[in-house]
Amino acid sequence: MAGNLMRKVSLIELLFVPFFLLLIVYPIAAIIFNLTPAGIAKTFADPLFWTSVGSTILTAFFAALMGLALALGFGYYYIFRKGTVMYRVADFLNDLPIALPHTVAGLALLLAFGRKAFGFAGPTGLAFTLFAVTLAMFFVSYPLAARTIASGADEIEREVIDVARTLGDSTTRAYQRVVIPLMGEGIISAFILSFSRSISEFAAVIMFGGNVPGQTQVLASYVFTKVEEGEVAMAVTASAFCILIALFLVVGLRMRGKFHA
Amino acid sequence: MLEVQNLVKAYGDLRVLDNVSARIENGRILVIIGLNGSGKSTLLKVITGILPCDNGCVRIDGQDVTSLEPEDRKIGYVPQSTALFNHLTVRENIIYSQKNGRGSPDGFEAVVSMLNLRGYLSKKPKELSGGYRARVALARALYSQPSVMLLDEPLTEIDHAKKEQMLPEFKQVLHQLNIPVLYITHDPREAELIGDAFAVMYDGKLKTIGTTEEAFEIIRAQVLAGAGIA
Ligand SMILES: Nc1ncnc2c1ncn2[C@@H]1O[C@H](COP(=O)(O)OP(=O)(O)O)[C@@H](O)[C@H]1O
Ligand SMILES: [Mg+2]
Repeated sequence: MAGNLMRKVSLIELLFVPFFLLLIVYPIAAIIFNLTPAGIAKTFADPLFWTSVGSTILTAFFAALMGLALALGFGYYYIFRKGTVMYRVADFLNDLPIALPHTVAGLALLLAFGRKAFGFAGPTGLAFTLFAVTLAMFFVSYPLAARTIASGADEIEREVIDVARTLGDSTTRAYQRVVIPLMGEGIISAFILSFSRSISEFAAVIMFGGNVPGQTQVLASYVFTKVEEGEVAMAVTASAFCILIALFLVVGLRMRGKFHA
Repeated sequence: MLEVQNLVKAYGDLRVLDNVSARIENGRILVIIGLNGSGKSTLLKVITGILPCDNGCVRIDGQDVTSLEPEDRKIGYVPQSTALFNHLTVRENIIYSQKNGRGSPDGFEAVVSMLNLRGYLSKKPKELSGGYRARVALARALYSQPSVMLLDEPLTEIDHAKKEQMLPEFKQVLHQLNIPVLYITHDPREAELIGDAFAVMYDGKLKTIGTTEEAFEIIRAQVLAGAGIA
């Protein structure tokens, strides 16, 4: 016991612990400590809050499904078409969004699918609809799903795929019959990660989907609106709600043992 | 009949296959012996079509298959790692090629009894011993009714006593198919027990030999030369 108390503390520990507590833990705790019964009551009585919760879950779910589907397409290139230009472009673009402000992503979508390009869908094209919110979430979360699928593919023994080919499978069939079933966990991780990334997206969503209360408003933009309106207690409640959802997702990922994003 | 002619495969400056030629008649088992890294697995992968070669050609029963995809070559392949489908049962592993129009119910019964797999059909590969995994990998390839069999050190996971028992059985099974068989090993005793003919591979070159002893003389000379002793 004395040995335990006397254990030498390294300089790194001395630096890490206070900074970590101050800059990471303390802000999260600040949300929780600022929760007030009145703020909770007012927020939970606000139908716009519940609409934004519903919209968030709905759009993030479909964005994650789309992200997973396209990521599985990327996985095919990753395994079977590594030499192609298409693969190299796709691989490169998986890394690009890391350095890209998401307002830029939102603007890109607006220019591509907004009024000028898709005017037939309404005066503002696809913009400022729940579908636009979904596309914005998908745009920023797909690269994460693609990279998760690629690392899932790395776990599969190459010779297993090779044998399937000699047994008469085309590359597409081998992908369906061997790669996808063996990737199981990677697929779930990819889905949860892109769902998480979708829920957390704000900039691209606001640029392309807008922030129309009761329509395209999601939790991230609800928090923003409430701060702007000076309803800090409501913003705090909605934020605590976001932290709760995030906790569930992180626990879900941890249980898959694959949290590396 | 399987014929390969002047196969060349290089990774950068490394010529892994350096003008490899060989010919195996139906019903014959050619054993290739060679040190690790001599290019044996690469040769099999080129024959299956999994790896493209830089030069040369592969013929099966007189047909040039060099530009065919692996799924169109009708080659039975047992890779070095056995590579079973862990998400499927033993039965599903064996009849995997059925969905691609290969094999038959009679063929299934035949391979299952030949390789004594009756009691294991509903198990998953991970529940099997190394010896049984090798049997399933062989059964899966045999079921697909291939025109050529390629086996890459299929018994590496198995101890010597077990090998002595399994090899005569494997040899009989392979002979019954009456197709060319290429069998890779680095174990001289294994080569002796399974082979009808022998070849040695070193530095990407393949040399046909009469007896397994010759293989080891050639390899020893190579190793000594490589070490700058001879
Ligand atoms: N993808 C690759 N890139 C570069 N070198 C490779 C690759 N695959 C195999 N090699 C090299 O080719 C040589 C032959 O390998 P291999 O055919 O597996 O030998 P063996 O089966 O006889 O042990 C080795 O030197 C190996 O390092
Ligand atoms: Mg090898």
